[in-house]
Amino acid sequence: MNIYRYALRRLLQAVPVVLGIVTITFLLSNAIPGDPVQIMLGPSPSQAEVEAIRARYGLDQPLYVRYVNYLAGLLQGDLGRSIYYGVPVLQKIQERLPATLLLIVSSFGFAIATAVPLGVVSAKRRNDPTDHVARVVSLVGVSTPSFWIGLMMILVFVYHLGWFPATNLVMPWAPPSALPAAETRVDVLLASAHHLFLPTVSLGTLQMAAITRIERSAMLETLSEEYVRLARAYGVSERTILRKHAFRNAQLPVITILGLQITTAIGGAVLTETVFQINGMGTLIVDSIARLDYPTIMGTTVVYGLVFVLGVVVTDISYAYVDPRVTYGEAE
Amino acid sequence: MTAPLLEVENLRTRFHTPDGVVRAVDGISFTVREGEIVGLVGESGAGKSVAGASLLRLVEDPGRIVGGEVTFKGETLVGFPDGRAEAGDGSGDDADDRWRDDVLSAEAIRRRIRGREIAIIFQDPMESLNPVFTVGGQLREFIELNRGLTQGRARELAVDMLREVGIPEAEDRYDDYPHEFSGGMRQRVLIAMALACEPSLVIADEPTTALDVTVEGQILELVADLQAKYDTSFLWITHDMGVVAEICDRVNVMYLGEIVEQADVDDLFYDTSHPYTEALLDSIPRPDRPVDELDPIAGIMPEAIEPPDGCRFHTRCPDARAVCTEINPDCRPLDDAGRPHRAACLKHESVFGAGYRESDPIENEAAGGFDVGRTEEGTDD
Ligand code: SF4
Repeated sequence: MNIYRYALRRLLQAVPVVLGIVTITFLLSNAIPGDPVQIMLGPSPSQAEVEAIRARYGLDQPLYVRYVNYLAGLLQGDLGRSIYYGVPVLQKIQERLPATLLLIVSSFGFAIATAVPLGVVSAKRRNDPTDHVARVVSLVGVSTPSFWIGLMMILVFVYHLGWFPATNLVMPWAPPSALPAAETRVDVLLASAHHLFLPTVSLGTLQMAAITRIERSAMLETLSEEYVRLARAYGVSERTILRKHAFRNAQLPVITILGLQITTAIGGAVLTETVFQINGMGTLIVDSIARLDYPTIMGTTVVYGLVFVLGVVVTDISYAYVDPRVTYGEAE
Repeated sequence: MTAPLLEVENLRTRFHTPDGVVRAVDGISFTVREGEIVGLVGESGAGKSVAGASLLRLVEDPGRIVGGEVTFKGETLVGFPDGRAEAGDGSGDDADDRWRDDVLSAEAIRRRIRGREIAIIFQDPMESLNPVFTVGGQLREFIELNRGLTQGRARELAVDMLREVGIPEAEDRYDDYPHEFSGGMRQRVLIAMALACEPSLVIADEPTTALDVTVEGQILELVADLQAKYDTSFLWITHDMGVVAEICDRVNVMYLGEIVEQADVDDLFYDTSHPYTEALLDSIPRPDRPVDELDPIAGIMPEAIEPPDGCRFHTRCPDARAVCTEINPDCRPLDDAGRPHRAACLKHESVFGAGYRESDPIENEAAGGFDVGRTEEGTDD
């Protein structure tokens, strides 16, 4: 079986998982205490108003009918209508998701770009000062909450030094008209990176620290493998051993950790968006929960579920790509 | 008689562990001539593998070569400045200033000796190949590196070598990964690797130990054929006297870091001159013997830290006498007949004159019957 069929297979296998996520989300949102209609209509609405609203949002029907309706809607890309915003949930998500994805992707990029070399060097120079510094950095990184890092960075780099803007993201593909001097594409990209930098570091530090630790220990392990000894015995240079013979094997645990870090990043993004006042999915979720906006809560959760499942599938595929021993499930 | 290809003089390698200094190799001397298969025999923990690694300066931390001299084809691989043999300066074997000026630098050893002149085959074919690269690719890489061939030529040669070591459908198997090969097939690949680089010497470190007996037989046959064809010399490290009998021309028997007997293979078997060699011969494996998978380095640590005083074998020697606890015999020629037969045992009174005959026998572990296989290798049946 080749890797494309393997990918397709993993995607199909993910369908029941997604269905499970949808079902649980649906049941949980209906179990949230409080009545959204009351929140919408204020303290003493008339009976007729309440009924009209219930009918409008389908809340007058029994649970299973609503469930089936919801599923049917989902299949057509309809996530329902936000009670608070009064627009389709999908539209709201389309507005908000890109910022969050941009943030998560860039924080992963930052984490990988810094952690992989750091971990490798740390393993190579085991117990040297470089190694100690790297280990302290990663220990501090995994033990510091990302919002705190964010707040501290705002304090130092925004208020004291004034190097970075404190709030909002600039989407590289949709510059706000208010942006000064954003005329060429390069300007827009620069402005975007400028805005993105602090949130990225704030969200990515945890990932960076976690990956560094795994990278270091995985490299140490592969460096003591017999095939590395063999390569050395055949005159392969330490540099090539580090980059090729030991490196590829060492990435397997790293890939696993990356997959697991997706959840952490999604959770962390909520806080980061709050700290940096970014209009992303995180703030959308928090606001919707505060307003008991069921359709939005469900919609955002389902979309996050999808993002997560996709992330896991991509992880699996990368793993299979790196490790030829993964059989693509033929023998099962 | 041909000139020695490899000469090892008084080589000593130590491991500085938290528990103490392990004298893994403690002053061994031997030679390998062109076209010869020389055995280095002993139990796990005798220091054979460390000796093999020392020849290529492949000893890993915390191990260090601390003394002696190794010459190969007129070049010095190991050698110490006068008076600095014990050089306890803390620098690893890579630090070129540890060595005498005429000793090859670490870089020269890597480029000119490793693979190119001296290739090595490790014990465990399962672990020796990198699981994420194709077998052919790994073979090709080493050929390219050590023979200076282009990728295309190296690939052709790799396929030829795979065919030569008996891999069926070599062309198709080239792109397979190690996990798609059986243990015996992987060991064939490793042999192909060693020979493809056309070295003058191959160090075979227990290459058949992890294989079952039938496959072992096939591999030994293959090596014998290839050796005849390429006239490559071998240093064959093993704990198995059966293998020695089958393949070696000359043999060095090692016990706790020292060579205790050195002889042509026939002399060793028919005129055994050291009690330890005798014990080893008594333990020639039966076909039903299970595979020994002990890590040779792990096995060393407890014993070689504080080797017994006197003859190191006296705690287990059935012939031990009081004098053996006091004098550690060196490995001396046994007669003047020109036979290269040496042994380190006080029993040879005419050679050592240490008063063995008058000395009283002592009680030791040998009293309850001697079983090499069991005592140290843990190969319980
Ligand atoms: S010297 Fe003594 S203890 Fe050592 S091998 Fe000979 S007889 Fe045995």
